[in-house]
Amino acid sequence: MASILCPDVPSPGFGFENCRRNALLENKGLAFPKAQKTGTTIVGITFKDGVILGADTRATEDTTVADKNSEKIHYLAPNMYCCGAGTAADTEMTTQMISSQLELHKLNTNRIARVCTANMMLKQYLFRYQGYIGAALILGGVDTEGSHLYMIYPHGSSDKLPYVTMGSGSLAAIAVFESRWRKDMDEEEGKQLVRDAIAAGIFNDLGSGSNVDLCIIKKGEVDYRRTYEEANKKGIKQGNYKYPKGATNILSTKVVEVEDVMVTRIEPERMDTA
Amino acid sequence: MSSIGTGYDLSASQFSPDGRVFQVEYAMKAVENSGTVIGLKGTDGIVLAAEKLILSKLHEPNTNRRIYNVDRNIGMAFSGLIADARQIVEIARKEAANYRAQYGVSIPLKYLNDRVSMYMHAYTLYSAVRPYGCSVILASYEDKEPNMYLIDPSGVSYGYYGCATGKAKQSAKTEIEKLKLGQMTCRELAKEAAKIIYTVHDELKDKNFELELSWVCQESDGYHVRVPDSVYADAEKAAKQAMEADSESDTEDM
Amino acid sequence: MPPVLNAFGPAFADDWRDAPHSTGTSIMACEFNGGVVIGADSRTTTGAYIANRASDKLTKVTDHVYCCRSGSAADTQAISDIVSYHLNFHGMELGVEPSVEVAASVFQELCYNYRDSLMAGILVAGWDKRKGGQIYSIPIGGMCVRQPVSIGGSGSSYVYGYVDANFKPKMSKDECIKFVTNCLALAMSRDGSSGGVVRLGIITEEGVERRVILGNELPKFYEEGSV
Repeated sequence: MASILCPDVPSPGFGFENCRRNALLENKGLAFPKAQKTGTTIVGITFKDGVILGADTRATEDTTVADKNSEKIHYLAPNMYCCGAGTAADTEMTTQMISSQLELHKLNTNRIARVCTANMMLKQYLFRYQGYIGAALILGGVDTEGSHLYMIYPHGSSDKLPYVTMGSGSLAAIAVFESRWRKDMDEEEGKQLVRDAIAAGIFNDLGSGSNVDLCIIKKGEVDYRRTYEEANKKGIKQGNYKYPKGATNILSTKVVEVEDVMVTRIEPERMDTA
Repeated sequence: MSSIGTGYDLSASQFSPDGRVFQVEYAMKAVENSGTVIGLKGTDGIVLAAEKLILSKLHEPNTNRRIYNVDRNIGMAFSGLIADARQIVEIARKEAANYRAQYGVSIPLKYLNDRVSMYMHAYTLYSAVRPYGCSVILASYEDKEPNMYLIDPSGVSYGYYGCATGKAKQSAKTEIEKLKLGQMTCRELAKEAAKIIYTVHDELKDKNFELELSWVCQESDGYHVRVPDSVYADAEKAAKQAMEADSESDTEDM
Repeated sequence: MPPVLNAFGPAFADDWRDAPHSTGTSIMACEFNGGVVIGADSRTTTGAYIANRASDKLTKVTDHVYCCRSGSAADTQAISDIVSYHLNFHGMELGVEPSVEVAASVFQELCYNYRDSLMAGILVAGWDKRKGGQIYSIPIGGMCVRQPVSIGGSGSSYVYGYVDANFKPKMSKDECIKFVTNCLALAMSRDGSSGGVVRLGIITEEGVERRVILGNELPKFYEEGSV
């Protein structure tokens, strides 16, 4: 029995009891509120010394650009980063949650967390929520076993591949990789390839846009290039469209005196604290 | 037992200063008060035999058995407090059933032995409970391989070729050691088991007893069952003959 | 749309979410004297898009037991992770590797108990001392049945006849490998949602031998216009 002394504690986590009702309402024509989605291009490749992750920076809400410079490469551990596509809030919170677990894991074991550990934690977390956490992730990092790249779907499946793309711009990006990725590329080639893949997403996919973010992870070293390139630089105006001073003629002048306004201040009465 | 009465024997959760747990040792004493039970491993299976002491003439034969089935292919014989042992039988049966439900095959005896001995051991650790006053023998014939374990009240268990527990376990063990276990079949062992039970029975202290014989072997298709009536009759006959021959030679000696 | 390996979605599936699982896989397992050969294509799809063209649907469970996965990628990966954890733990308790039968039983238990929320068609195959090479088929719904040869996934419908016509008990290892490769090549060529390379695993007493047959090395059969 709930009372003031003994209130009902709501059970933690997600509630799914309204799913069927909502589906019914939706069928009857009630529009669902839309979550902010990162209609996105995210990519990752392995190269000679590690992995390179890349992302665009557009966040959309339906057809509106909600954020022109959103950060989609999330920190997971000192040797691991994770690109997120899908529901912005979910990718953010999921990576934060796993990041914290990885930090505790590192402190408990006194070892650098492995990428396969992060993959397992992420896929098991997402599987538990049966796809309701809309996070599509590209996980990349370097550990004692070498460099690893995974892509993880919202339903909790994962694939380990040498080069991957996800998000709405993944088709444009994978085309770049399929034609130009090679084994053991050097860092400069890798960066150029990832930039080109993201640029392909930015220019060919409506859901992707703005800038290119890169993150280069090598053994014991991370180079996070926030705004590696502004793919959509604002052009410089060719002419000056300001009116010069005096362009408007003064035909007549009239001065109106403003009456004095009386201001009375009322001092607040002090409270008796004696 | 020099430390009796010093207060260290009241609880299973305390050691005595010389490193013993008296409650467990008392439980073993309880086992030594009951009829002898033996298990013999042959080439093609295992024979279990029990000396069931009959305390009243009014008891019906074949009741209050000392040998039970835990699974189709697993037998359990026990000595000690019957009520305690019945509980162990129940636990073992549950373990076997759970295993079958989960893994679709019968429980490996090694695993069952681990589980049951762990369970019995747990009862030697807390002050609120007393150890089980029984020893059990587990026997199975799986994949043409006979297996047998004996678990003590302490939770300790070993695998055996031949084992004995109860009143006359010492003399029974001496008898078992005389056998060539590695070369004998269950049919032969059934006779030997009966002989041993008859030999070690103390007619002066305990008047009547009933012999229980079971096996789990090739001949029983890997099932644990009471030996067929004909085998039982042969075994009992052989045992009685041996006893008579024995007493005759005894009289000759005199 | 979640990535899926198989087209065997229940026709009655009351899918109130936006997840029409409708694409596929070809998987197969076949006994020979001394072990089993398992095989699969390498295509994982998300709707009409190939999410992974080089995936490995033959997943290790223990040293001598593998499973071929079809259905939802997430579901089958989760199941095989759980089962392999469970069986490795059990192996340590027993001191011996769990048998193929036990492995299949654990798979079945999960597939049956969660039959309403899972989409998984699994072939459990392996070798053990007691019964040699074995294959257990666990289709959607959680049934478990032992078969000397078994096929699964959307591509399987195209080759039932071929399997029935060409399977022989107690084949040699090489015969069996050839048979599995042919079946999968035929299935992949007719099933739009299967394709890529053929991955094979040969499980015997010695363990597992993995092989890959690339797309251009696949056996060729009659194709219109090619003669």
